[in-house]
Amino acid sequence: MILKALAEYYERLLNDPDSGVAPPGFERKPIPYLIVLDKDGRFINIRDTRTGEGKKKTARDFIVPQGEKKTSGVKANLLWDTPQYVFGIPKSDKEKDRKRAADSQEQFLKRIADTFPNDIDDEGISAVRKFLQAKDFTPVFGHELWPEILETKANITFMLEGDTCLVPQRPQVMKHLGEIEDKGETGQPCSITGKADIPAELHPSIKGVWGAQSSGANIVSFNLDAFRSFGKKKGLNAPVGQKTTFAYTTALNTLLAKGSRQRIQVGDASTVFWAREQHEFEDDFSLFLGEPDKGREPDYGPLRSLLSAVRTGIPPGEDTTPFYVLGLAPNASRIAIRFWYEGSVRDLKEKIAQHFEDTDIIRAPHDREFLSLFQLLVATAAEGKADNIPPNLGGEVARSVLNGSVYPRTLLAGAIRRCKAEQKVNRVRAALIKAFLVREARIRKSKIKEVGKMLDTSNDNIGYVLGRLFAVLERIQEQAHSGLNKTIRDTYFSAATSSPLVIFKRLQELAVHHLAKIRNSGKSTVWLDKLMGEVMGKIPASGIPATLVLEDQGRFAVGYYHQRQDFFNTSKNSEEGE
Amino acid sequence: MSRSSPFRLKVSGANACFTRPEMKVERVSYDIMTPSAARGILEAILWKPAIAWKILQIDVLKPVRWESVRRNEVGAVISARNVQTAMNRGNGNLGLYVEKERQQRAGLFLRDVAYVIHADFEMTDKAGSDDNVTKFEQMFIRRASRGQCFHRPYFGCREFPVDFAFLPRDAEPPAPIPDSRDLGWMLYDMDYTGKEPMPRFFHAVMQHGRVDLRNVEVRS
Repeated sequence: MILKALAEYYERLLNDPDSGVAPPGFERKPIPYLIVLDKDGRFINIRDTRTGEGKKKTARDFIVPQGEKKTSGVKANLLWDTPQYVFGIPKSDKEKDRKRAADSQEQFLKRIADTFPNDIDDEGISAVRKFLQAKDFTPVFGHELWPEILETKANITFMLEGDTCLVPQRPQVMKHLGEIEDKGETGQPCSITGKADIPAELHPSIKGVWGAQSSGANIVSFNLDAFRSFGKKKGLNAPVGQKTTFAYTTALNTLLAKGSRQRIQVGDASTVFWAREQHEFEDDFSLFLGEPDKGREPDYGPLRSLLSAVRTGIPPGEDTTPFYVLGLAPNASRIAIRFWYEGSVRDLKEKIAQHFEDTDIIRAPHDREFLSLFQLLVATAAEGKADNIPPNLGGEVARSVLNGSVYPRTLLAGAIRRCKAEQKVNRVRAALIKAFLVREARIRKSKIKEVGKMLDTSNDNIGYVLGRLFAVLERIQEQAHSGLNKTIRDTYFSAATSSPLVIFKRLQELAVHHLAKIRNSGKSTVWLDKLMGEVMGKIPASGIPATLVLEDQGRFAVGYYHQRQDFFNTSKNSEEGE
Repeated sequence: MSRSSPFRLKVSGANACFTRPEMKVERVSYDIMTPSAARGILEAILWKPAIAWKILQIDVLKPVRWESVRRNEVGAVISARNVQTAMNRGNGNLGLYVEKERQQRAGLFLRDVAYVIHADFEMTDKAGSDDNVTKFEQMFIRRASRGQCFHRPYFGCREFPVDFAFLPRDAEPPAPIPDSRDLGWMLYDMDYTGKEPMPRFFHAVMQHGRVDLRNVEVRS
């Protein structure tokens, strides 16, 4: 499922010459320094591949033979590595480190010798070999870049003078490595493809998952004894062939890479998405659900046209291209799958349109037209910080958006809690609560008329009516005392939501005084009286309840928000009143 | 070897996790029940050394839905060497303290699942002289219809119990979902015959909600 789809994506990338993805057995790696040699293995120069200024210099990415997974042992990469391996530079002057460095250098040479037996006739390889065997590195150590290399312990590789590619990239070398890679069909069936292959004991790390170790973490790993079955070791617990392992990790790392257009952050879940075949929806998806770049107004054109197409009843086309969305979150040096979606582009378009339809609520003209998932999630977190989003919530919300299922109840509870704590309802939270209620009503096929996009004077749900009443009472106070620092909202919003009976009694007493004050100042209160009368008329005969259930608390918030937006958006009301 | 006539058992539950071997640490389930999980359910109802269950077909009755849950699991095993030392010495502390070894792990589980398992059994060479197919057939029908089991059957993990109902031969089976999909390679069962237990895989294809296991190619 997940790994298979990723492995297939790798195949797609491999067939696309623009993707720049590493072929089997290779990987993309930033390498800052190249040692330039001539054909006889004589040192010519050190080339700096970094671009940028000062400390922000970034090295160029090269495709090099796949690196070893290094732990405490000495393991050399093929033809590229750190100064310790290439030149035998010890970490310190200690006896232990010196021995280790010499050992590393030996391994580095041995790896080249083992991989390329003498009969492969390549100028690049023989130059490197001659250079390393001569062990005369004084010209290198004398180079002006050397102190920097020594300090950063950065990766180094080789290039032949006059060549445009690295030594490990020379056609002969690539061909030879490709032949070694293709070991033929032996071993165990791979649990992903079913083809016989040698099971990988260790899987390459996945880098770029938000919150995971920067050196990378694993999806498939058995890093404790408790994870093992039948006495099997490491990757043998789940035979995944080496080819599949390489393909899925390379594909995932490409998707997660810095600057990738196919990743978004949803709560704590790093989310990647791809289509089975090249599809423009890959570009649109992050626009729909991702957070737009700071300070840049996103182009909502595609989203608007998608929504209008769905609204006018024109289906978004019979596009059955499979589309995948994968949410990853770190857990103790491992990566856990938070959610996984597999469906067609058409299906996903419908679900996304539905989500935006559900979250659509009346807004101030300066507000952003569409709310990103991140904005929705952060609205439920204390201080509006991403770190305070409850774990797992992001994944749950993303799943309900993608599947068109009900939003998690914790989302509603979180939004209401923040409304109460901050004693105000902003647009994002109102949108969230409305979306939750609307979606729940639709899926449960409830007959009750649910809150809408804007003020609905016919809605007589007690929560909604009380929310409106609260907004009216606040308006009366504002008219009576202009420029107050603290309104009834700042004092009573939370209490009015949870125990309306007590609070509204008090508020109505206050309103009598406020109205009197407005009248005394010579202004008319007809409009306010009329509005209050109208809202009060909606309260059922049984009166104001002592408490409200969570959903009604939500409707309270939405009713308040709607009524208040109505004051701002329709100027005719206040003109009539003043 | 003589085979029984095929049985049908309807199984359902609130959750299930048929863990994929490659994602068994931070668990992710297969889309549907694996044959080995189905075998486990039948063995919970009736198993004797004389019989070996064969799963013929699995019908999927509810759409595949997911749920992600974090729960506590234990991250350690008692070391075999410590046990050996303790045995040689005659004393020692072999306790595993769950509170100390507890760790939280994520899981992507299935929710609200229901299947119909089609299966029969084969007599093994462990069958005694007074064992015959009819005897075990009757035993299974009796036990399954009464809801008897040796241990409570479960969907992949012990915390996801199975509700089962025996479907008599003349009963109309519930309709599977109208969904056809390639489910990829799936664990078939473990092969215990060799020196070391080895997994066996098969290519699972769901056609109109049915996964036919009768003539699948099993690779091991």
